[in-house]
Parts: sequence; structure tokens; C-alpha cells
Amino acid sequence: MTADLSEAFSFPPQPDPDADSRGFWAATAEGRLAMCRCQSCGLWLQPPLERCRVCAGPTEFEDVAGTGTVYTFIVQRQAAVAGYLDKVPYVVGLIELDEQLGLRLPGRIVGVEPGEVVCGLRVQAELVDLPGGEYRVPVFRPLGAE
Amino acid sequence: MNRLLQGSAVVGIGRTKYARASGRTALSMAAEAARDALADCGLTPADVDGFTCFGTSGTATPSQVAHAIGVPDLGWSLNVSGGGNIVTTTVAGAATAVLSGQADVVVVYRVLGSETRYGKAAGPITVGGEAQFAGPQGYLVPPQWFAMFCRRHQYEYGSTSEDLGAIAVQQRQHAARNPHAVGRDPITLDDYLNSRWINEPFRLFDCCYEVDGAVAIVVTSAERAADLPHKPVYLLGAADSNRFGGSVDQWDDMTSMFSRDTAPKLWSRTGLKASDIDVACMYDCFTFTVMATFEDFGFCAKGEVGDYFRAGRATYGGDVVVNPHGGLLSEGYIHGMNHHYEAVLQLRGDAGERQVAGAETALVTSGAGPFGGALVYGTATL
Repeated sequence: MTADLSEAFSFPPQPDPDADSRGFWAATAEGRLAMCRCQSCGLWLQPPLERCRVCAGPTEFEDVAGTGTVYTFIVQRQAAVAGYLDKVPYVVGLIELDEQLGLRLPGRIVGVEPGEVVCGLRVQAELVDLPGGEYRVPVFRPLGAE
Repeated sequence: MNRLLQGSAVVGIGRTKYARASGRTALSMAAEAARDALADCGLTPADVDGFTCFGTSGTATPSQVAHAIGVPDLGWSLNVSGGGNIVTTTVAGAATAVLSGQADVVVVYRVLGSETRYGKAAGPITVGGEAQFAGPQGYLVPPQWFAMFCRRHQYEYGSTSEDLGAIAVQQRQHAARNPHAVGRDPITLDDYLNSRWINEPFRLFDCCYEVDGAVAIVVTSAERAADLPHKPVYLLGAADSNRFGGSVDQWDDMTSMFSRDTAPKLWSRTGLKASDIDVACMYDCFTFTVMATFEDFGFCAKGEVGDYFRAGRATYGGDVVVNPHGGLLSEGYIHGMNHHYEAVLQLRGDAGERQVAGAETALVTSGAGPFGGALVYGTATL
């Protein structure tokens, strides 16, 4: 990337929390991964909602184990989004969390060579600082890897 | 009551030149395409009482475009918020306006200017909605979303880069016979495989060719169409599907797309099936969109698209001609409105060097991932 663009593009997009998502970011700030869950029927909801999409029950953020499986993934070879420009190639996966079939979070997969990532890989979330602001975000590392 | 649209027809088609950087405003391009479409069917702005378009940003509104070409009083005006997913919904909406008597003559258009590029890197931004979970991970733009689908398909069905390449190469071959296409230089499978990675499993030639330009079509009643210069092209039927609130990441089976749900609705409403289709204008923001939707519409089984294309079954002399204009991949990305232009041109028999012999039915799909629609045009009513 050329120098004149490096400043503007040096940081990744920052989240803009809303009333439904604030609990997610409050939890990551405290080092926890929490997802939105219906307090009536127990359904996990992503993206989060004020009321359950199935039973309209009230929701709260509850901690999740942070373990999951790579449903699918991409290897980013060319910078397409601001930030991480010096990190290409990087891997982003859709991680299916163990709490519920189909409950997925997008996240970078770290601690493994891009060529080693496969669908079905078991991963564990960890929280890292998001460059350029005050937020922390989950990234995922293969289970058992250091 | 039946759910067909065949009391309506497309009678005029128009477009601008497609260019990488036109230097023109969206309003000027949309006005040119609208004038061109009206001239094509011998109507004037004074005959028009409906205008509709779709878009996500950078468009010119129906009332602005109508005013810009001298429509004295625009009655029915509908500006639909959406992208490729909403194209056939918008066209079918024009038909329903005509069928219900809300309008007599409706212009449907899409315009894209340089400021609306989807593939360019975004500057420093904050992201809300579902993107607030994705953007901070460096995951925000369409080639990334649909590569996620593609990877899962490769994992479950063993589809390959060579299969995607077969689609890219064939569409480029088709575009070579289309003077309006921006991507006309032939490519080989090796060229495809050697093109640079964007995000694996997508290479450069998996991605559509973004351009500036506009396309407009004129929809009116079948009755009125009979008095106009061209052979009418009837809208036979349409169907749409929207699941998961448009969320790519939560879509349940990423080896399929909206078309899994749209196809049975469309075939049920029209009584048609894949083998009845002569021309298939498959929405192709990426090669994999063609692969997934082609399977979902029942042209072949899961995992067989590569073999189908390599056997010549998706081109001239085969079972169905897929994107004879080159599609969004090679003709240019006018967000799928150019697929409607091509379908009408083919069914009129006016496609010149790339005419599909005896074309009587055309399937046009729109969208990718969790939402979209499809529409069938025919030279005769059902």
C-alpha cells in the first residue's frame, strides 16, 4: 500500500454498538465472550435482538465456552478492508459455536498457517485488542495449540 | 387465482455504454438509458406514468430520472432499497403495477457510477448492524462473503478451482461476441488459475467486472404490447426468497443459496422446469454464484457444474446457454439489470452474432446468498 493511503487505512473498521449489541462489547471489554440468548426458550441469537425471534421472550447476554468448529473460511490475499494491511495473508473463518447448531461468529483464525486451516477444525476463542480504538474482539486459535 | 405475470410484457430496452470510469453522473446515465428504452419501443416520455429502480447507494431516484427526460407527471414511483437480490422483484413489481392498473407504462432501470464500487477497500469507518461483528475482523465485502460459501461447497462436494474456471472461461468466450462487453479478451483455464488471489478460494477472474453504466427496460400490458414495434417478451412468472434477514454468516447451508427456496416456487407457479429453459441469465457477481444457483434451479446435481460446463452443455449447442452476453463477470456489472436486457434481446431474436437459435424461454436470476429472486420470460404466454 502506498504511503499516502497508509494513514487512512491503517486501522480496521471499528464497531458501532447499538442497544441490542452493547452487551457483547461490554463482555469482551471484561475479557469474556458472551452471546445473546432468549431467557424464555433458551435460543441463542446472532446477531443479537431485544426480543427472541421465535418466542418474543426477553434476551440477555450469557457467557459461552468460546469453543467451536470452523464451518468455512477464507484466506485474505489482497487487502480489501482497512486494517491488517501488513497482515495479509490472514484467515477469517465462520466459527460455529458449540452452544447451538448454526450459531456462527466471524473471526480471524490465528496461530496456524493459512494452508493448515480446514473446515471442521476445532478452535478456541481468545480476546485481543482491536487496533485503532478501545474495543476487544475475539479471535480463534486451534484447540490445543499455543 | 394463478400467480403468473403474463398479462405484462417488456416492450423496450435501453442502455448506456459500459465504462470503467465514465466521468458521468448517475442521473445522466439513467436518463440516457430510459430515453434509449423508450425510443426502442416508439414511446415518448409523455406515455410513461411509472418509474422504478433499485439500489443501495449512488443511484438517481425515479422522480429525478423521470423529470430529467421530461415526463410531465410521474404517477407510480418506487425506489427500492436493495442490491442484486432485488432486481427481479423490482421488475416483477413493475409488472404488478401494470396488471393492477396502477400504471400503464413503467420504466425499470439500474444505474451504477464510479462512486458505488463494491470491491474497493473501505477507508476508516465504523460499522453497525451485523457488520459490527465482521468488519473489525477484516471481513466486510462481497467477495469475502461468497468465497465463504464457495469454500464450504468445495469441502462438502469436492468442487474445484478448475470448476470455477470453467465458468469464468466460458462466459469470457461468450463476451467475445458481444461488442458491448468490457471484458472481451479471451482467457484460458491457465489464465484463470494464474490470476491473482483476492481471497481464497476466489481469484481475480472469479469476480465480476465493475463498471459505470445504466440499463432500462419498459414494461407494459400484453395488450398494449401487441401494438408496439417489437415482438413482445412476456413476463411469465417470478418468485423470491428471503431468509435469515439477509445474514450471510447465519445462512444455514452455505453450499446453496436463496435459489434453493426460489426454484421450487418459480417452477410451481409457471409449471416449467430447468429443461424448458433455452437461455439462463444467472446472476454472477462471482463464478460461484452461478455454480450454486445453477444447481439449485435443477440444471444439474450438486457438484456437477464443472463437468456440465466442460462438456459444453451450458453453451451454444448444449442444453441451455448460460449468460450469452458474458454476464456480470465479462459484459459488466450493472447489478443484474443487464441480464434482463440480454434475455429480452435473445427472445426477440435480435442478439446478432451471439443469438441462441430458437430461444423461446429465458430464466433470469438475481441475488446471491440468503436472498434473491428469479423470473422467466417467454416469447409466448403459458
